[in-house]
Amino acid sequence: MDHDSFETRVKLAIYGAFAGAGRAPTSRDVAAALGATADAVEAAFDALHARRLLVTEPGDRSRIRMAPPFSGIATPFRVAVGDRTYDANCAWDALGIPAALHADAVIHASDGHSGEPITLVVRDGAPVPEPCVIHFAVPAAHWWDDIIHT
Amino acid sequence: MLLFRSEGTVARWCEARGLPQRPLVRLDQLWQLALTWYANRLTEESRRPAPDEMAGIFAAIGLHGGFWDPKADHWRRG
Repeated sequence: MDHDSFETRVKLAIYGAFAGAGRAPTSRDVAAALGATADAVEAAFDALHARRLLVTEPGDRSRIRMAPPFSGIATPFRVAVGDRTYDANCAWDALGIPAALHADAVIHASDGHSGEPITLVVRDGAPVPEPCVIHFAVPAAHWWDDIIHT
Repeated sequence: MLLFRSEGTVARWCEARGLPQRPLVRLDQLWQLALTWYANRLTEESRRPAPDEMAGIFAAIGLHGGFWDPKADHWRRG
């Protein structure tokens, strides 16, 4: 099997686990699912990071911090789809989860300054209008300088 | 990027951190970005848009200017 097709299988295993279970698989989980070694899976994690599809935990490449739009840790952007709840990395990714799953969703978030709860609803393929704005603090050229901060 | 109830709370957030206020994005614009980035993310063919594609995506939904220019962001596409 060539590297690209193995990388694709790893990518699909990661996203399948996030979508199905709402949480990040470890490299050992993915290795077990694919009949591969954890070392090979972690090398694929590195390759997926280079393609801006994955971020591992700082200092631990066996654990996934982000497979955008999904977050591997709890965040202030909780996305309910059916009977599952997901964590998103940011406001963009909070909408990205219903976009990726092609499903209706209720997003539980809050005002970044005041903490006032803000609920966004995605229904029939679009967000229901809600008074809010989104602020990007980092210019596009620098989003991946520190994507966890962005 | 963060969500705010109004431009007023964005201004107060920036002031509290000594940060400049950046362009604001509407919910409908963010939804278009979410669709473009993620609608096929669970498929075999999925990939993140490359920098040369991103500028066109931003412009198509009304996000113009140097803030949205990703040309300095170099990475392996595919």
